[in-house]
Amino acid sequence: MTVPAEKLRLGRVGESARRTDAVPKVTGEFAYSSDAYAAGMLWGRTVRSPHAHARIRSIDVSEALAMPGVHAVLTHEDVPGEKRYGLEFRDQPVLAFDRVRYFGEPVVVVAAEHPEQARRAADRVRIEYEPLEPIVDPERATEQEPLHPDRPTMGHGYRDDPRPNVVRSLVIRRGDPDARGDVSVSGVYELGIQDQAFLGPESGLAVPDGEGGVDVYVATQWLHVDRDQVAPCLGLRPEQVRIHLAGVGGAFGGREDLSMQIHGALLALHTNRPVKIVYDRQESFVGHIHRHPAKIWAEHRATRDGKLVCIRVRILLDGGAYASSSTAVTSNAASFACGPYAVENALVESTCVYTNNPPCGAMRGFGAVQSCFAHEAQMDKLAAALRIDPIELRLRNALAPGDSLPTGQRITGTLPVADVIRRCAELPVPEAEELPRDPIRLPGGAGNTTRGEGVRRGVGFAVGFKNIGYSEGFDDYCTARVRLLADGSAEVHCAAAEVGQGVANVILQTARTELDTDDLVLAPATTSSVGSAGSASASRMTWMAAGAVREACRAALAERERTGGEVDVERVYRHPRTTPFDPETGQVTGERAHVAYACAAMRVVAEVDVELGLTRVVWIGTAQDVGRAVNPQAVEGQIEGGTAQGLGLALMEEVQTRGGLITNASFTDYLVPTTLDMPPVESVLVEDPEPDAPYGVKGVGEPPTVVSTAAILSALRDATGRELTRVPVSFDEVVGLD
Amino acid sequence: MELRRPPDAQHAVAALGNGSLALAGGTDLVPLLRDGIVRADTLVHLADAVPRGIDGTRIGAGTTLAELEVDPQVPAALREACAQAASPQLRSMGTIGGNLRQATRCWYWRLRFPCWLHGGEVCHAKAGQHREHAIFGNERCASAHPSDPAAALLALGARVRTDRRELSVAELYRLPTDESRDVVVLAPDELVLELDVPLPDASVYLKAMDRKKWAFPLVGVAAARFGDRVAFGLAGVAPIPWAVDSADDLDRATPLPGTAYKVQIARALIARAFSAL
Repeated sequence: MTVPAEKLRLGRVGESARRTDAVPKVTGEFAYSSDAYAAGMLWGRTVRSPHAHARIRSIDVSEALAMPGVHAVLTHEDVPGEKRYGLEFRDQPVLAFDRVRYFGEPVVVVAAEHPEQARRAADRVRIEYEPLEPIVDPERATEQEPLHPDRPTMGHGYRDDPRPNVVRSLVIRRGDPDARGDVSVSGVYELGIQDQAFLGPESGLAVPDGEGGVDVYVATQWLHVDRDQVAPCLGLRPEQVRIHLAGVGGAFGGREDLSMQIHGALLALHTNRPVKIVYDRQESFVGHIHRHPAKIWAEHRATRDGKLVCIRVRILLDGGAYASSSTAVTSNAASFACGPYAVENALVESTCVYTNNPPCGAMRGFGAVQSCFAHEAQMDKLAAALRIDPIELRLRNALAPGDSLPTGQRITGTLPVADVIRRCAELPVPEAEELPRDPIRLPGGAGNTTRGEGVRRGVGFAVGFKNIGYSEGFDDYCTARVRLLADGSAEVHCAAAEVGQGVANVILQTARTELDTDDLVLAPATTSSVGSAGSASASRMTWMAAGAVREACRAALAERERTGGEVDVERVYRHPRTTPFDPETGQVTGERAHVAYACAAMRVVAEVDVELGLTRVVWIGTAQDVGRAVNPQAVEGQIEGGTAQGLGLALMEEVQTRGGLITNASFTDYLVPTTLDMPPVESVLVEDPEPDAPYGVKGVGEPPTVVSTAAILSALRDATGRELTRVPVSFDEVVGLD
Repeated sequence: MELRRPPDAQHAVAALGNGSLALAGGTDLVPLLRDGIVRADTLVHLADAVPRGIDGTRIGAGTTLAELEVDPQVPAALREACAQAASPQLRSMGTIGGNLRQATRCWYWRLRFPCWLHGGEVCHAKAGQHREHAIFGNERCASAHPSDPAAALLALGARVRTDRRELSVAELYRLPTDESRDVVVLAPDELVLELDVPLPDASVYLKAMDRKKWAFPLVGVAAARFGDRVAFGLAGVAPIPWAVDSADDLDRATPLPGTAYKVQIARALIARAFSAL
C-alpha cells in the first residue's frame, strides 16, 4: 500500500528552513570565486610595496615582460580612466604612483599563462623606492607631515578638523559634560588590529566581452558599488562593467572595499583574455582592510544609587593609509560610546587618523565593538565602586524606547535593553565541573597543562547595541525584481550578496510567503539584471532584502491581477530616511541619524589558570533583540559565529605590525579560535518587532560580536581580579597571580 | 629546481650539499622555499633513503609524527609532544627527522629581516616585539625553537644516528655562533637516519599555547624520570631545545622585557610535570 507523500513545503518567514548553501559547503561541492574558470584564461599577479611608506623613483617592467608566458605587465600609466578609487572617497590609487603608503600596496599587475609564470615575472619587476619614515604611532599622527595633503574626506559635511592626518573627528556634546556625580571611575582601553580571517581569500575572474566591456565574477559584498568604482577607472560606462557574485567564502566587512576587481578587469581588457586572480593567505592579509585598532579613554560619573550622571569618552582609531569606511566607523564608535544606557550628560570625542599602518575599514561590529569593550569595562568598574550588582547597575540605566541618546536621537522603534538583560540573566549558569577532567575541558586544552592547579572561575556580563542600516543621510535602498511566469512559477532577482549570512534564504522565504508558492527560484546576483541591493553590511541585508522582495512580490501579484499575463516588476525599498549629525555638536539634525538599533546581552563563564595565564571560556548564554527571526536556526548560527569572532578578539586574534609591516600574515601565526576554543552558546531570541521594518525584522549579525569580547573580558576580570584593559588579553596581565 | 629521489642513504648523502637540500615531509621546507627564506637548486627526496618505522627503542628518521603519537612502544612524553604538534594533516606528512631541523617561527627571520640569524648584525626581536621569543641562550639571537618532539627527545636522552656518527640530541643542537649561524652541528650533507629513545620509568609533555590546539609552544616542558633522576627538556624558550635539571635553573634565565612571563610559565609547568611523574 502506498500513501501519497505530502507535498514538500519549503520555509516561510519565521520558520527554520535549511539553507540552500549548507550541504554543498559542507561536502566541498560549493563553487567559490577561486574555483571560477574560463577557457584560455590567464593568471594575474599583483606586485606590492615591501615598504610602509616610500617614494617610487622608477618602475622598470621590461625584464618581467620578456619572461615566458607573460602577456601584460601594467602600471598606473596603463590605467585608462580615473587613477584613484575608493569605497566612499576616491583616495586610493588603482596602482601606486609617486608613493606607496602601506605595506602591500599594489604597484604593478602581471598576467601570464600560468600562475607560477606570473609569480616569477612579478619578481622581475624592478621598482626603485626611496623609503620614507613611516607614521606608525596614531597618537602622534596629527603632528606629522600629511599623508594626504588634499584631505579627501574633508568638505563632506563633517567637522572641519585642521590637524594633519585626521580622517574624521566627531564631537558629541549633550547636556553638561562637567556634571559631577557621587562617584567617578575611569580607565584607558586598547584593542589590537583584528582580521576578518575569512576562509576564502580574495579572488575573481574578469572576462572581456569583445566589445570593450568586461564581466567580473567576484566574491564581494555589494555588486553595484563595485561596478561604480571599477567603471570610471577603466574609462567605461557603468553598463559596460557587469559584476556577478561568485561564491563567497566569508566577508565580515573585508570585502566591502575592492581587491582584484579593477586589476583583473584591466588585465582582461589589455590582453583580451579572461584573467583570474587569486590571492594567497599572506597576500590576503594585505589585500583587505582590517578592524580599526583603538585606544579609548573613558570616565563614568554616577550617583550613589547607581544612576549615570555623565559619561566622557575619547576614542582614537588608527585608520591606516586610506580612508575606506573610516569616517562611518568614527561616528559609529562615537554613537555607541556610552552603551545602551540613558545618560543626560555626555562628551564623546572620536578621531580617526591616517598612518602608514595597514588600512582599516569595515569589520563586523564596525566601531561598536571597540566602544562596547570600553563601556562595559567601565560599567563593571562602576558596579564595583558602588558595590552594586553589575547586572542590577545595567538594569537601572538601561535605555528604553522613548529615551534619547547622547546624539539627541529619540528611540522611536524597539530597543528592549532591560528585557535582553533580564532574559540573559535568567539563563542558569552551569555548575563548576568536577575534577579530574579531560584537559580539553580545562584552560590550556590539548596542551595538558593543568589537572586543576591554578584554575579560578569567573562569571562576566555585558550588554551592547548597534545600529541597523546605513546612517547619517545615506540614501540606503534595496532593489528586487520579480517575474511571474505563465507556468505559475516565479523568478526573484536581487543583488544582495550571500556572504554566508543566509540572505538567500531570507529572500526565498520572503518570496514564498508573499507569493504563497514553493515554485520559485532566486536568480544569480548580478548587476546586469537588477538594480542595487546595497551592501551586505551594517546588519541591514535581511531588513532591506525582505523589504524589497516583499514589495516586488506584492506589486507583481497586483500587476498579474490587473493584466492576467506574465509579469516582470522591479521595486526599490528604502528604510526611513536619516539625516547627518551636526558637525559641531554631534546632535541629530532631523528625527534620526541611525535608522534603528539592536541590542544583546551576554553572560560568560570562564576559567583561568592564573599561574600560566591560560584561559577557557566554559559557557556563554545570550539574549538578543532580533526584531523578528525570519529563520530562527540561521539566527542562532549568526549568534554563534558572531560570538566566536568576538572571542577571537578577546583571546588571541591580532594582526601584528612592526614599522607598518604585517609580521604574522598567516593562519600559522595569526590564530583564530578553533571549535575547541568555543564553548556551547545558549541563545534566547527576544522578538519585539521593529515597527518600521518588514515583518518587524532586525539585523542579527553584529550584536553578538559587539558584546562577546566585552563579556568574555568581564568574566576573565572576575576570575583574575586584574583590570585587563587590552585585547587580545596578554599573558603578562594574567600570569603568575599566585 | 630539480627534484631527485635517491634509492638509498648513500646516494642521498652524495646528492646533498652544494645547494641541494633534503626533503622529507616538506611541511616546513616547502613554505620556507615558497617564501624565499631558503633557496635550493636541487631537492633530495628522502622517502627511499631514510628508514621509517618504530622497532622497540629505535625510530626511523622517516617516521611521521602521526605514527609516533599512537605507537605504545613510544615513551609518553614523545607521543604527547607529537600529538600536540601542528594539525593532523601536518603530522601525517611531517617526519621526526625533519622535525628536529624545524626552523624558528621568529617573524623577523621569516620576514627576511637582515637579522643576525640570517647572517646580519643585530637581532631585531630584542629591540622590537618578542612575546614569543627566548628566555635562555638569547645573547645573540632571541629566536625560540618551536619543536615539541625535540624537547621530549632531549628530556628522554635520545641518541641520533647519522650516516657518519652517533650523538645525543643534546649534542645535536648548539647555539648559533658568529662563525656559524646554524643551530645544529650536522654537516650540510649529513643525514639523520635513526633515533634511539631510551624507555623512562615515566614521562610527560605539557605545553602552554595561545589556543586549545594547533599552535606553537609558548613554553613546552617535557619531563622524563629514570629511577630517581628527572630530566627536563623545554621548547619555545631558547634558539634550541633547552635542557634544565630543575626549576631552579630558571633563576639563570635571561628574559627580555616581553618574555618574562615565560619564566613563570616554565617554572609552574616544571613543577606540574614533576608532580605528574
